[in-house]
Amino acid sequence: MSEWQPKILAILCNWCSYAGADLAGVSRMQYPPNVRVVRIPCSGRVDPLMILKGLQSGFDGVLVSGCHPGDCHYISGNFVARRRFAVLKPLLEFVGVEPDRVQFSWISAGEGERFAQVVTKVTEDIRKIGPAKRLVKGA
Amino acid sequence: MNDTERSAARMRSPEGIRGSLHDFLKIAVDKGAVDSVLAPVKVPAENSYAWILMNDPAVIESASPVAPVMPVQGAKALKSLTRKGKGESRILAVMRPCEIRAGIELMKLNQVHFDNIVLVSYDCPGAVPFQDYVKDPGFSEESFGKMIASGRPGEENIKPACGICTEFSIVDSDIHFGYFGVDEGSAFVIPVSEQGAELLDAIGLDRDAKIADWESEISSIRDKRTKKRTETLSAAGERIKGLDGLINAFRKCIGCHNCMSVCPICYCRQCYFDSEVSKKDPDFIFEIAEKRGAMAFPRDKVMFHAGRMTHMSLSCVSCGFCTDACPTGIPVAEIFSYMADITQPTFEYIAGKNNGEPLPLRKFEKKELPLVHEIVKSAEGEEGSDE
Ligand code: SF4
Ligand code: FES
Repeated sequence: MSEWQPKILAILCNWCSYAGADLAGVSRMQYPPNVRVVRIPCSGRVDPLMILKGLQSGFDGVLVSGCHPGDCHYISGNFVARRRFAVLKPLLEFVGVEPDRVQFSWISAGEGERFAQVVTKVTEDIRKIGPAKRLVKGA
Repeated sequence: MNDTERSAARMRSPEGIRGSLHDFLKIAVDKGAVDSVLAPVKVPAENSYAWILMNDPAVIESASPVAPVMPVQGAKALKSLTRKGKGESRILAVMRPCEIRAGIELMKLNQVHFDNIVLVSYDCPGAVPFQDYVKDPGFSEESFGKMIASGRPGEENIKPACGICTEFSIVDSDIHFGYFGVDEGSAFVIPVSEQGAELLDAIGLDRDAKIADWESEISSIRDKRTKKRTETLSAAGERIKGLDGLINAFRKCIGCHNCMSVCPICYCRQCYFDSEVSKKDPDFIFEIAEKRGAMAFPRDKVMFHAGRMTHMSLSCVSCGFCTDACPTGIPVAEIFSYMADITQPTFEYIAGKNNGEPLPLRKFEKKELPLVHEIVKSAEGEEGSDE
């Protein structure tokens, strides 16, 4: 309908979700072209500030994806990421960011199809919410 | 410490808690139980207090262990002394409960080392807002003196953070001085840790007092405070919630970052928000200005506060230094405490409460705590995790 296309920042762990995205590409799976991928060494590397900065610099949503619990290359990075996320969530709400704008998932290197599904779902969720009000609007 | 029957010593002084604490410092140094003392001393200009590390009896004589104002967070003083590890001399530090809790958080962050430190806390009546004190030291001294003499926590002329503080009494120190609700001029000297108990033995204080009454007094005050805190913070949250509310709350912010530099928890040598990388390219700023038709400076105020919150809210002890330091009177502490009271309970954590408990982000559970689980689950979308 409308012309607006959400821009989504996907922060993907090198050891799993990034490879999952790769597999999705190599297997020519279709998924919305709205994501811009940033590769990181581990989901445990994600500072909540990265997510805030993403939203601030014009992304409409952020997807962070790491290895399945128990499968982190560095053993516990994603467990810590999960906790950090639990801190960030209420804060996002406090600063007025709709909860669905920032999402979190576990995708392994073999799950190309799941990657396509997650991206499709996240894109649809964010499309429904609409464009992000910038965090720094006028302030 | 789980206290079925906590035993304490009793000290008396015509000058009340201040006198007892002062005597205690002198005895501890005199008997060689510690080498030196870290406590506030009134500055010669008479209009503030400073942390002084002292071992000269004449200087200790001039100490004011219970000072009306908090010009520097005690945990910061402790950090200056112990950030590189255990020092040579054994120090007895007298600090407010929130200073000790901040010290405990810093210890967990490896910025403070307790090995040679004996921490002494006391029932804290609150502190006078720094600006009020500077404006009228005489009045502040008087009202604070009355507050202490009343043997109850203060209600007027104290920092807003103190008025809603629920951790105003015994904390994870070594020795605690309890005097709320105790007969005038008298204070209980309560050993909290083993080290504290040994020190009391070393200086020959007999522990034969029963403190059950004091304990129930503290818990009844705490109940009232908890209620007040919840009411105050949830009202603040309602007022400020959302981007517009936040922009409004920080409209007066001049971006001085005072709130951050006085924060005991913000220990980073360089804050991201002071760094070059955090500064936007002028071209980018022009682009936005063009789009919007106008542009406000300083930039990124809400980003600074929200970002700082993500970094320290799990360790925030609600000491109120940020509010005290804000030149434009923004209730920074209220806003940060609101968030802290949401994030900390998620991990069943109270910052600085227990020095044996790891920081929430330094540990994890395979099957997460119910609240963490709920938040993460809802964020993972329908697919969910496969645990
Ligand atoms: S102290 Fe006040 S004015 Fe300065 S940065 Fe903090 S909130 Fe802004
Ligand atoms: S290596 Fe993938 S989440 Fe840690």
